[in-house]
Amino acid sequence: MLMEKKINTELLYKIAKRTAIIAAAFAAIISILLIANYLQTKSLDPLHSAALQQLMSQLQQNPNDAALKEQIRALDLLARKAYFTTQWQLRSGGFLLFASVLVILISLKFISSLHPQLPDFSRDKARDSWEQKLLARRMIIYSGLGIVVIAFVLGLSAQNQLKDHVVKASFPSMNELHKQWPTFRGPGGLGIADAKQAPTSWNGKTGESIKWKAATLLPGRNSPIIWDKKIFLSGADEKSQAVYCYDADSGDMLWNTELNDIPGHPAEAPDVTRETGFAAPTMAADGERLFVIFATGDLACLDFDGKRLWAKNIGVPDNHYGHSSSLVTYKDVLLVQYDTNEGRHLFGFRSTTGEQVYATPRDDVEISWASPILVNTGPRMETILNSNPFVISYDPASGQELWRLNCMDGEVGPSLAYADGFVYAVNEYARLAAIKLQGTPHIAWEYEDDLAEASSPTVFNGLLFMASSYGMLTCFDATSGEVQWSHEFSKGFYSSPIVAAGNVYLIDHGGMTHVFKADSQFTAIADNPLGEKSDAIPAFMHGRIYIRGEKNLYCIGK
Amino acid sequence: MKKTVVLLILLLIAVAAAGPKQRFPKPDFESGYERPLLNTPAPRQLVLEYLDIFVLFAALALASWLVLKKRSRRGVFWLMIFSLIYFGFWRKGCVCSIGSIQNIAYALFTNGYAVPVTVVLFFLLPLIFALFFGRTFCAAVCPLGAIQDIVVLKPTRLPYWLNQALSMIPYIYLGLSVLFAATGAGFLICRYDPFVGFFRFGARFNMLLFGASLLLLGTVVARPYCRFLCPYGVLLNWMSRLSRRHLSITPSECINCRLCEASCPFDAINYPAVEKAEEPRETRVRRIAVLVFLIPLVILSSGYVGAKMHIPLSKGHATVALAEQIKLEETGRRTERTDETNAFRSTGKPIPQLYAEARQIQRQFKIGGWLIGGFLGLVFSLKLLNLSFFRRQDIYEADRGNCLSCGRCFDYCPVGKPDVDLEKLKPAESA
Repeated sequence: MLMEKKINTELLYKIAKRTAIIAAAFAAIISILLIANYLQTKSLDPLHSAALQQLMSQLQQNPNDAALKEQIRALDLLARKAYFTTQWQLRSGGFLLFASVLVILISLKFISSLHPQLPDFSRDKARDSWEQKLLARRMIIYSGLGIVVIAFVLGLSAQNQLKDHVVKASFPSMNELHKQWPTFRGPGGLGIADAKQAPTSWNGKTGESIKWKAATLLPGRNSPIIWDKKIFLSGADEKSQAVYCYDADSGDMLWNTELNDIPGHPAEAPDVTRETGFAAPTMAADGERLFVIFATGDLACLDFDGKRLWAKNIGVPDNHYGHSSSLVTYKDVLLVQYDTNEGRHLFGFRSTTGEQVYATPRDDVEISWASPILVNTGPRMETILNSNPFVISYDPASGQELWRLNCMDGEVGPSLAYADGFVYAVNEYARLAAIKLQGTPHIAWEYEDDLAEASSPTVFNGLLFMASSYGMLTCFDATSGEVQWSHEFSKGFYSSPIVAAGNVYLIDHGGMTHVFKADSQFTAIADNPLGEKSDAIPAFMHGRIYIRGEKNLYCIGK
Repeated sequence: MKKTVVLLILLLIAVAAAGPKQRFPKPDFESGYERPLLNTPAPRQLVLEYLDIFVLFAALALASWLVLKKRSRRGVFWLMIFSLIYFGFWRKGCVCSIGSIQNIAYALFTNGYAVPVTVVLFFLLPLIFALFFGRTFCAAVCPLGAIQDIVVLKPTRLPYWLNQALSMIPYIYLGLSVLFAATGAGFLICRYDPFVGFFRFGARFNMLLFGASLLLLGTVVARPYCRFLCPYGVLLNWMSRLSRRHLSITPSECINCRLCEASCPFDAINYPAVEKAEEPRETRVRRIAVLVFLIPLVILSSGYVGAKMHIPLSKGHATVALAEQIKLEETGRRTERTDETNAFRSTGKPIPQLYAEARQIQRQFKIGGWLIGGFLGLVFSLKLLNLSFFRRQDIYEADRGNCLSCGRCFDYCPVGKPDVDLEKLKPAESA
């Protein structure tokens, strides 16, 4: 009986062993096939095969070739079939492997159950003796210390990328800014030049009083900015973006920096109108750095030698005309009014690094094309933005909203004016509103005729000047709103009136600069042709005027 | 032997190779064909969730009965196979008691997250059963334990000191898992579940390789995940130590025959302790006094180190990782944008807001680091203290904390077996 049982056990042992061997051999074969299949799948890239690529390039040349399309489809289908076949093979192989491993396990378990293991009495019985415990204590202490040391080193060596990298920035005071022409419409964007004298007559066609004239390479609707003896412009088309620097005395181009490889630059240029173009926003300068933005959403900072300090794309603006809001700086913050169809923000970027300081949402206003102004309202500095329906003031350092007033309508183009506690906002088909800041900001007076469409108003000596796109210029008493005079010109205005040396300079669509007294009586001084069209803002420095035409930059004066 | 090694390596790679799937771009159609809309699968029916709870409860009750009353290893084994099929291959490893730790931690620290009752019960029921009957969940209900248990072929016993040192890893894993879940950084236990890839017949290559390696190791070191990784095992261990009833190797009185010594593949049998006289009592007392005195210091220092780790640990949080990438791009330290940063930028969300959120998460990690570090310091200190005590023990008995209640030892105990002469098996000195 015992013998018979032993024979049966031996037989079962042999069967189980052979089953395990066969299953193991099967598992080995499946494993090799699976590995080969996996390697093949990894190495093949059927959708980017040379044959398919070649056919695709042929199709690009002959997009209407129906036979070629069919061929590509057939090849594509073949690749997909091959892929899914591989997937099926991997899955089926996985199941087979699983089954064979299961058979191996059952066989081995069965084998071990046929030969139960007897305890090994030769081993140390007192396995938790003091020696063992001493060893265990040491091991725990060593491993614990090891973990602590590793964790400590890791903790110390790990870089906190979110830590602010403070780069010491120097920036000009408001007084220093007022001696330069650092932004759109001059210091603060108010249209007032700190010029003691400025030329009043010239002729760009004949060259009269033209000190020099320099060609601009790429088109741009932006206006020149000036710091000391350097003049800066930007230009762009669908393919290129650049910043130019000219010598104020000679008109020589000092440098030309292309900005075409900015991270995040869109593969396709956005749609813009010809009137706006890709380089409508005027640059800004803070004495050490230049800032430029394009219709692609590319924002860059250069030093005064044209070296790129930082550059980024802040999102392609969804703007049906093209982005046109100009840049302003406040201390070490660069302000960007970014009102697009998809989202609207006032951005503050650290001027030294380009890092976003704030992004104040402006979700309850419509898209706009105006630019921020930066003013000292007495108790504080404010940056004030014109938009539909709100005029909103922000703290330029933090982006915190300070106040708002509902008074605008339509597609807002003109920027604001400010003087003596009043903010002036205007837009065509809306109104000209004088907002008194004293107490709760409120409308002190308003006017609804001959409104500006793109031209921004200017206030000087208690007089407000507003120019319409169809040629009507109106002068108001800035405090009462009483019309002092109005004058109709033959051509309209997109450019804005700038006050310099007691006179108002205003360029019409044809490039003619009308000069008249900044007075409560209309007194014309001169009409000066540029020789080409221009809607730019003239810049006043060095006793000269710098005007950007469609193709040239002009220096007027001595 | 060489053939076996080659076969095992082949198996290991093949298992990993069988899992991963390639991404394949969708075809472009010019024929006007409209792709069907993507649909989110409907949640599991409530009745089926209740069925899961019922099956869990029934399996725990049955396991406890099989271990404590029936003393049947065979019954435990077949229940384990059922659990492997039901909770593993059928339910694909989810919902799982081990992973439920994270849901509970997340719910405790997150407003607005209501943890499903199924998950709460999957978390509590095994602990409650452990409190009354020991770790019967590990024995026959946990699919992760089951898949390892069936591959145990030739288990070897690890040295005592190694066993003790490795048993600290689950505490670290538990701490990190709770920290990550509580801060919303992710569910580490699920992300690094080594066996879920087998239950689902597909996972990342690395995870399948990890799982296959553990199973391979499990043939000689029984249930390595349960013993040296499982964070839920820490909680079960605590509960089981306090258990009202627990598996007993012998049905009545241990005769110290030593037959059960080799029966436990998990080194969870406490042997009769032989008192050693080499160490004077004063030395032992002094050591314990020093340890007790040092405990607060160890807790504080490890808490400090844990807090120091908040920067590298918080990088595991998606928001912090994204904020860091954005920061690098914003400050010009990285010029190439990634898909993640492009996606973020397209949302129009203010970057400073992202930074603020990320810094808030870093602060949470810092507080969590203090707590987890302190907890680990306490655990290491108590372990040292525990190893410094001498406990008199006269018989062989299951270690209440570490015993997985698998019942392998039942068959080795001769007590109660009618055809065994117990007198012959008793040790000479006690006979």
